[in-house]
Amino acid sequence: MDYKYIEQLLERYWACETSLQEEQILRTFFQQAEVPVHLMPYKAVFDVQQEQAEPTLGEDFDTRMLHMIEGETVKALPLGGAGRGAAWGAFFRPFYQAAGLVALILTIGMAAQRSFDGSEEPQQAQYAQIDSMENPVQEVTPLPEQQAALAVEQTDSMNLTR
Amino acid sequence: MKKISFRDDVLPLKNRLYRLALRITLNPAEAEDAVQDSLIRVWEHRDEWEQIKSMEAYALTICRNISLDMAGHAGRGNVQLSTINLSTDSQLSTLNSQLLPDESQEQKERIALVRKIMDTLPEVQRSIMELRDIEGKTYQEIADMLKLSETQVKVYLHRARTSIRQQAEKIEKYGL
Repeated sequence: MDYKYIEQLLERYWACETSLQEEQILRTFFQQAEVPVHLMPYKAVFDVQQEQAEPTLGEDFDTRMLHMIEGETVKALPLGGAGRGAAWGAFFRPFYQAAGLVALILTIGMAAQRSFDGSEEPQQAQYAQIDSMENPVQEVTPLPEQQAALAVEQTDSMNLTR
Repeated sequence: MKKISFRDDVLPLKNRLYRLALRITLNPAEAEDAVQDSLIRVWEHRDEWEQIKSMEAYALTICRNISLDMAGHAGRGNVQLSTINLSTDSQLSTLNSQLLPDESQEQKERIALVRKIMDTLPEVQRSIMELRDIEGKTYQEIADMLKLSETQVKVYLHRARTSIRQQAEKIEKYGL
């Protein structure tokens, strides 16, 4: 039997010049029981290719996969994208309402206290004036001294005139 | 355009993805995880399915990246694992059933050796060999998947085939 064609194909296979069909011819050729001795070394190369097409994933992989995918759609549809966030929001809603009510009562109460207690108004204004100065203590304390100095001057002048 | 369904168009790609992942990770359990992660990622991008030219190329690209990540994290690069060798005996027995008993044993060892050589090739060469010689992809398809030019794919494949050829001839000359 003449193996010229196969030898030629093989040379072109090493050079990456074969088509996919020609590569399949080579695989089929090397799979047959009787391979000539001089081509035997290459049998393993093509047998490996055949063998490596075998590993597969079983049916249980499919069911597991579809379960994961379907599980996700079932969960995702009724709740929408922010499913978890919405559930927490619903749980805390009464607390938000209570907090809002408390805040409202406090605000109204404080406002009422201020408007009814008229005597506090001028005092508060005074404090505000003092607070707005840079050094209230220094600004305030010279006053009695100045008054004392004035008093001394006054008494001095009174003494002189006497 | 035809509506793409996960069950009919994506899931049947699992074995091709698995074999590619196995070439890269060299570990059946990791390869299965890689396929699972890949399919989930494909599913998460289902809004974009209509714009994808080839679902198979798209899924294979994702699977390759995930497998590379796994192989990288394990920090083993091209070192091959013994798990592959353990699983081969049963596969080989079916393959060589037509051979004579003493021939079968020798052929078994040859195949194991060629596989070992393939597993020690750099990852790009290994992946290209897988896609071309096992999955029967065209050079154009492989180039698209691996983001290489067709010429680069051929160069890598040529290197891979040359290594395999040299090793096969060496085995013949000096014995197993």
